Amino acid sequence: MSDIATVARKEILELRRDRLFFILIGFLAVVTVISVAVGAADFRAQLDAYNRYVADVAASGTGVTPAAPQLFPLQLLRGGMEYLEILGALFAIVLGYASIAKEKHRGTLPLLLSRPVQRFALVGGKIASLAAIWGLVVLALTVISAIAVTTIGGGTLTGTDLARLALTCGFAWLYLVFWSAVAIAVTVLTRQLSAGLIISLVIWLTFVLIIPQIGDTMDPDNQVPGGLFAALQIQKPDELAVLAQFAGFDGIRNGLEVSSVTKHFERIAFAFLGIKDQYNQQPLSLVWVAMLPYILALTAATLASIVIASAVTTRRALQRKQS
Amino acid sequence: MNAFWTSARHEVLSITRARIAQLLLVVFVGMVSASAVIGWITTRTVTAVYEGILAAGLTTAANPFTDVAPLYYARNSAIYVVLIGCLMAIVLGAQATLRDRKQGTSALVLTRPLTLRARLLGQLTGMGLVLAAVLLVSTLISWVSIAVITAVPLSGNLTARLLGFAGASWLLLMVFAIIGMISGLFARRESTAFLAPFVVWSGIAFVLPQLGTAARPVALLNPVPANPVTGDSFTALSALTGPFAITEQFKTTASVLLQNDLVAGSAVTGVLALAIFLIAGVIAITLVPRRKIRSALHE
Repeated sequence: MSDIATVARKEILELRRDRLFFILIGFLAVVTVISVAVGAADFRAQLDAYNRYVADVAASGTGVTPAAPQLFPLQLLRGGMEYLEILGALFAIVLGYASIAKEKHRGTLPLLLSRPVQRFALVGGKIASLAAIWGLVVLALTVISAIAVTTIGGGTLTGTDLARLALTCGFAWLYLVFWSAVAIAVTVLTRQLSAGLIISLVIWLTFVLIIPQIGDTMDPDNQVPGGLFAALQIQKPDELAVLAQFAGFDGIRNGLEVSSVTKHFERIAFAFLGIKDQYNQQPLSLVWVAMLPYILALTAATLASIVIASAVTTRRALQRKQS
Repeated sequence: MNAFWTSARHEVLSITRARIAQLLLVVFVGMVSASAVIGWITTRTVTAVYEGILAAGLTTAANPFTDVAPLYYARNSAIYVVLIGCLMAIVLGAQATLRDRKQGTSALVLTRPLTLRARLLGQLTGMGLVLAAVLLVSTLISWVSIAVITAVPLSGNLTARLLGFAGASWLLLMVFAIIGMISGLFARRESTAFLAPFVVWSGIAFVLPQLGTAARPVALLNPVPANPVTGDSFTALSALTGPFAITEQFKTTASVLLQNDLVAGSAVTGVLALAIFLIAGVIAITLVPRRKIRSALHE
């Protein structure tokens, strides 16, 4: 068995015995199910309101009946995807941090490094194990989501829906591996263990919460409840024509958003699941082409984080005296 | 100087000497300061968008930003208190109680004529002083930024509102500092000590409001509180979870204090809810058993 496989196997065995890990994943599963339940209840409330409106219109004998709200089952996963974006990234950081911190804290590194271990075996094994674990977790969450959508949500998933879900699952895996690799790199580079965790959390806070929040804040259409253009009764083509005059401002806003890997994952997931109306019920090939820049960026970011984590995890960095 | 104040002074010194704590404090003050500028740039752009629409004859509606209140520019600060401020408070709280356990100094500290209650409440007071100082600095920066943007110094009423917002922020941050302290005392591992309160925070900031309002997690990153959905089971759930969703209570209080006309409600209700949680947290701290501060820490 290669050194990488040996380290990976040891990591997986340790995680299997870790109660905290199961609590975190359990929490993620619970909030995903809650999101589906809340989304389904919200849809029922909309349907009830629609039915009441239709009854009123029929009773008065005036007006045109609007189209009924339609349930697109995968759209019920919006909340779950957002939890994965926020909490999934947080938990990925914690697992990445813990994989290095435990070795430093226990003092097992001098013993481990006294063995003829290859240059990248330790970090490679740790990243491989985390990638395997996240693969299993994402798979489990996908199955749970599908069950929740069909049972609690009352939706029916077609073969295409399942393919969309499977693709999103793959991108979620890339996203989580990215955050674990970032945490490994930061923990290796910091002298104090708690500093490694806190700096990783500050990075998480900045890229997962603050930057997307600033982007949303700067969106002119978000300035008025229900949307500025809707409030001013502006049609979509006119809206685009007006916004074209503010390309500089919108470029800065969009630039801020796309500097966050979280936004890339969100745009990909929302497009494949049809949460974004523009891509709802569109052929997969069309969504794939439209999302290609984001897919490439997410993949590149994940690969870069793995390469950086591998490059900085040297014997010297690992054995540096803690302060 | 009695043991309580010695502990408080020690905590202030420890926070001001810790580089990570300094980093968090700078990030917080920086973002709160930047929020006024971001708000101003956005409002200016939206007004320009509106004028473009008006000039093209596409609308006859009034500009939704005419006569915007000066404190409008500070409204985004509320979300930075919920995001950065709470996490900063958690880190400070957890570090305060972990410090003694990590360095093994608790045994030495407790040989002095000092009760555990005085030690922990002293630490909490020290943190409270640091958080109050940080909030005062950010309030001062907001005051100056708004005065520069509007070209008029804020009136006494508006200054009082800004200070009231700082006070409500302090109450919220103290609640999360206590959650961090308790986690630092009870966790067996350092990573758990930081992570557990983060999970509690995410439950309070995202899950509880979602149950009552059907608002999605990302929508809850808005400084304006989510509106409860009527019908189905939401009304009952909202009544059940609303009082515990203290970040939403805080957002309502902040919106009222910062004169956001779109938000209805009372600032007093939110302040009372936060004060009740703070008192409950202080009581919880006084009930921590002595052995907890001496328990070993693993990773």
